[in-house]
This record gives sequence, C-alpha cells and structure tokens, in this order.
Amino acid sequence: MSTTGNGIPRRRGKRLAASAAGIAAVALTLAACGGGDSGIGGGGDEPPPAAEECPCEIRFSWWGSDTRHASTQEIIEAFEAENPDITVVPDFTDWDGYWDKLATSVAAGDTPDVITMEERYISDYATKSVLADLGSLEIDTSKVDDGVLAGGQIDGTQYGIPTGINAYALVADPELFADAGVDVPDDTTWTWEDYVATANAVSEGAGDDVWGTQDYGFNEAGLNVMARQRGESLFTPEGELGVSEETIADFFQVSLDLMEGGGQPDAARTVEYQAAGPEGGLLGTNQGAMGVWWTNQLGALSESSGHELELLRLPGETEGERTGMYYKPAMFYSASADTEYPQAAAKFVDFMLNSQEAAEIMLTDRGLPANTEVREAVLGDLPPTEQKVAEFMADIEDEIVDTPPVPPHGSAELADIMERINTEVLFERITPEEAATQLIEEVNAAIAG
Amino acid sequence: MSVIQELSRSRRSASPRKKGDGRWALFFLAPWFAGLALITAGPMGASLYLSFTDYDLLSAPQWVGLENYTRMFEDPRLLKSLGVTFTYVFVSVPLQLAAALGLALLLDKGMRGLALYRSVYYLPSLLGGSVAIAILWRQIFGADGLVNQVLALFGVQGQGWVSHPDYALDTLMALNVWTFGAPMVIFLAGLRQIPQMYYEAASIDGASRWRQFRSITVPLLTPIIFFNLVLQLIEAFQSFTRAFVVSGGNGGPSDSTLLYTLYLYLKGFGSLDMGYASAMAWFLLLIIGGMTVVNFLASKYWVFYDD
Repeated sequence: MSTTGNGIPRRRGKRLAASAAGIAAVALTLAACGGGDSGIGGGGDEPPPAAEECPCEIRFSWWGSDTRHASTQEIIEAFEAENPDITVVPDFTDWDGYWDKLATSVAAGDTPDVITMEERYISDYATKSVLADLGSLEIDTSKVDDGVLAGGQIDGTQYGIPTGINAYALVADPELFADAGVDVPDDTTWTWEDYVATANAVSEGAGDDVWGTQDYGFNEAGLNVMARQRGESLFTPEGELGVSEETIADFFQVSLDLMEGGGQPDAARTVEYQAAGPEGGLLGTNQGAMGVWWTNQLGALSESSGHELELLRLPGETEGERTGMYYKPAMFYSASADTEYPQAAAKFVDFMLNSQEAAEIMLTDRGLPANTEVREAVLGDLPPTEQKVAEFMADIEDEIVDTPPVPPHGSAELADIMERINTEVLFERITPEEAATQLIEEVNAAIAG
Repeated sequence: MSVIQELSRSRRSASPRKKGDGRWALFFLAPWFAGLALITAGPMGASLYLSFTDYDLLSAPQWVGLENYTRMFEDPRLLKSLGVTFTYVFVSVPLQLAAALGLALLLDKGMRGLALYRSVYYLPSLLGGSVAIAILWRQIFGADGLVNQVLALFGVQGQGWVSHPDYALDTLMALNVWTFGAPMVIFLAGLRQIPQMYYEAASIDGASRWRQFRSITVPLLTPIIFFNLVLQLIEAFQSFTRAFVVSGGNGGPSDSTLLYTLYLYLKGFGSLDMGYASAMAWFLLLIIGGMTVVNFLASKYWVFYDD
C-alpha cells in the first residue's frame, strides 16, 4: 500500500545523482532567472497563440513501467500518423525519479509541453502557474463524467484531465479464506468491527505465517474513506484539513486492534511488507487473506499470488452517514502554461483521451478510461482481472456520492507524514490520540508552507 | 589559522622539498582545479545564494535573508536527523577504522595469496556505496532474512532488523563498518613504512607482541590513523545512498535512519523547499569544517611525525 494510485511503489530505488541534479537545477535556474521573470511560471500576458503553429515538436512526460513506455510509444506513433506535422518527443522515467526530474525541468525553464500529473502534486504545480488552463484549449471532455472531471479542477479551472479512474478497495483471497474456514464477508453490509473480527478469525484459522490482513495505515486514502463515511473529508474544497481528531484516532485504533487480535503481523513485519509493494506484500505472497489496494493494482496482485483475487467494498460503507468510497483520477493530462504550441499539446491530449485507437493500446494502464464511451468500447478487449475491475467500478458507481476535492498545495508531504506517524503507532510509541494531534499539526504545517 | 600553521608545520618537518616540487604539484592538481572551477564552483555559489531565498523550484526564488537558517533551530526533524547522523558517524567510523587496522595487521604478516585477500577485503569498499548492496542489506536483515535464519539455528527468534526503529540504524552502521577496505589498504601501506629494525631491536629487548604493537606500531602509524579518521569522518557525514535505499527513501521506520543528507534531500525534492535545503547544505559544510578543524587541533596531542 506504499504505492501511488498507479501501482508504482513510492520512493524506492536509487537517487545517486540526486544532489548533483539539485546542484544542476540550481545552476540552470540562476541562468534562467538572469533574463528576468519570463523564464518561470509566466505566460499571463503572452499574446494568444497563432492559429497555424505547426509543424512543431512537443514533449510529453510520463512515469511508469516498461510496458507503459512501450504502449505509450505506440500511441505516439498512432498520433503522429494522424498528425504528420506534429512530432511528440517522449520523456519518461520511473515513478521514483519522475517528480525530481519534473521539478528540475520546470526550474530550468524546460517544462514538458504535455505533463502527466498526479493528485498529490497537481495543486503545487497549478498554484505556481506551471500548468495551463485546459478549459481554454480545444479538448473534448464531453464524454468524461462531470464528477470525475472535477477531480482535475482547482478553483474552477481545469488544470488536469483525468486519464482514468481507480477506486481504493479491499482485495480478498477466497482461497485463503477457505483454508482458514472463514466465509468471505458480505461487503455491502460489513462494518469496521466486522473487518477486524474477520481478519482475526482468518489468522486464527489459517495457522502459522498466514494473517488475516495487511496494515492499511500507511495510505491516507483509507483515512479519507473513513472520514467521508462520517460526513467529513480529508481535505475540504477550501484546501483545509477536514478530518476530525476522533476519526484519525479511530483510524489508527483499527490497526492496533488487528495487531492485538492477531489479524495482522507485528509492527516490524508490517513495515517490511509495506516496503515490498503489491508483489511482496501479504496478498502477493499468499500470506494474507486481505489487503487494501487501488483497483488498478489487482492485476499485479493476482499475478504474483497466483490466486483468483476478489474486490470488495471497504468496510463501513453502510455503517455511517454516507458512503466513503470514491473514484480517484489515476493521473491527469496537463499542459505547460509556457508551451509554445498549446494547440498541438491540446490535440495530443484530446487524442489520448478520446481516440478509440489510443484506448485500445492503453487499455486500463492509466486507470479505467475516463472517457466512458471508449471505456465501453475496450471492455471486451480487457484481460479477466481488468474486466473484474471494470465490473466492480460499475457496481459501486451508484453508491458513490462525490469526488473528493483536489488536495491542497503542500499535500504531497502527507504520504510521508502518514507513513511516519503510522509506524510510531504500530510500534506503540504514541497512542492513536497522540497520532491524531500530531498528524493534524504536521499536515497543517505542510499545507500552510 | 592555526590549522594552516599546523599543516605547514608538519609539512616543514618532513624532508626538505626540492625546488620545483610546488609547480609539479600544481600541474598534477590542475585537472582537479579545472573540475572545481567548471563544475563545482558555480553550483556552490548558486546554492549559497539560494540558501537566503524561499525557492520551490517551480517559481522564482524570493529573497528571505537568514530565515532559512533561523528556521533550522525550530525544526524538530532537523534535530532528530542531526542526532541520527552524529550517532552514525561517531559509532561506525571508529569501529570501521578498528576493523580496517585489525585486518591490515593480519594481512601485513605476509601470507600466501596476500594480493587475493587484499582484494577480497577491499571489495566491500567498492560495492558498499552501491544500490545493489543496500538492497541486499535489506534482505539480509529482514524479518526472514539471512541473519534471522542463522539465529534460528541457535533457537533465537530474531527481529525484523531494518524495519524496527530501534535497530534500523544499527544495520546501516554495520554496513558502514563493513566497507573498511579503503582505510585498510592505506593502513597496509602505512605498516610497510615502519622500519623492521625497530621490531628487531624490541624483540631483542624482550618486548612482547602487544608491547611492540603499542609502543612501535601505533605511534608510528598515528599519521595514517589521523588521515583515515579525517577522511572517513567527512565521508560518513555525507552518507546518503545507503540510508536512502535501506529506508525506502524516507529515513524510516519513524525517522530512525534519517541521516542529515537524506533529510536535506527530502526537504529539497519532497517538500520542494530548495532554499531551506540549500541552507541545510551550508550548515552541513560548517559542521564538517568545524569537525575537521577540531580534528587537526587535537592531532597535535596524539599524532606523531617520525621525521
């Protein structure tokens, strides 16, 4: 669960050249700043773009695995075949290096024309005028659900268009449930207490080295769902923290109850499984019957476990005031506010969002396609696990109340804060109540700064 | 100033230099100076400037004077990272040097296959900074890792060492101690410099092995020990990759491996607070500089220059 909503382990791997990159960034920035303010974040008073701007070359940046690089390259070729006067230069890296590289490029005044964005970072970039208002460009968003589209809006401006959607859900391994002699719970009615009891029962019944569930406390998405079930929200539309101390304490208490009842491993093991990503976690290694993951991680989880895994609603959906689950934009397509070729950039975004051809290559690699029309069209082509995801997403559609607002500027730090505080709770160095106070304090400091 | 005097004193006390040596020294140092001027100096100046600004990489830096530096004193995570770093440096460096000296003494006995052993023991130094080794380290000290498997043979139920806040830093320090190869090779060279006649004379006088080690080897080796100490301290203060990889990039679990440089990186690229990160970098330079000055001053009392 230490992953982004896109199945990529967060903050893992090497950064040998980090300091060098920082130094280079700094040097380049100084050079860029020498010429006045125009280099960074400008574009406000530029004249409107000329109608005929191409032939031209635009750069598209994204993160991901090798499969995504290969499929994206194919999409670029398809786009170029349709638009021979536009050349798209690929600019890709793994998730670990992506944000360092992007920040450095922006600092150097070399922002990619089309940028892949993510929920945690979009506010940072939007409020610093790095991103263009996509509403003013020619991109057809009529096939995207309004609620989903709103996920890319800040103060009414469309800074990003969702590529696709994911949901934060409970993944269960029916085989391990059967081994333990426990029934897979009815996810339409189960409560958080049921969840703890179920996990404890599985651990009890399954014997050594198999646990009921993997700890969920490292990811703020779970806290958001619990908050929403209680009529709160992790962040308010005004960009403030909207979750109560009580909810946060209850959220962490679930982990402690699970550890005490044996439903999840001891703290040190939990930290280790957490770091091992979906493949190395409890579900992936057949050592746990449940885990909370993003729906697009089902494929990776199923593959490494070799079992047929099921998607369940998170507990508590019928327990509180309202349901808490939501569609999360997997990523966003954004454009640079400084791009020389806004029309070409818009054309490319439009192609990736709306073209049948692009969708057939991409499938669900950037989430279940946000464009509902192409989503329908590619359903038949999907592998079984992806079809399961699509079905699950359709099942919960009517229950979803709304899309959470875009997290405020500075919220990128929340992931690290969560991870740190959850570790302290698991090792029982602080109580859930202290954790709640500390979380609120640290997040407020992060979003204020 | 006294450091420089100290340095020049020890130089002067060495054998008189031939005329022209200085020029040759400059000649051989030229590539290094060129690198400094072309690659390092500009960014250093830039980072000094940025340390007085509020700079998030995405928009132009704003001058804030000393604010970044004063903020450091109110930052609990910075204090925490200093604590972690000092523990790391002052525990692992002496142990590393002891290991290096111990093995150098063993290898100095002139056994068969010395070159092979020397290479084998030097290997960790080459590999130790690498990502691969850091990942391997995670496995070895994991809950089901090699260490615990060996412990299980003796009926001991081990911890998940890297993922427990009380032990994670210990595994990092162990990794640093393990990379004793570089100082070991320098110690070996130093040991070869000690004239054999001292030992012969001592053994005729009936001095024990231990006595010979204490009264001949150690005093004559002090300049080498000093050299290694300065070098390894500086290097340890700048450790980054190991902590980054072993902790999964965030200094965890719960900041127990948050080395100063790692926190600096997290501030710069995680929080996009590059001004603060730059200030932290300069503060680290001050710490290392101060530490080195103290080292040179203290060396007067324990380092013995033969000639």
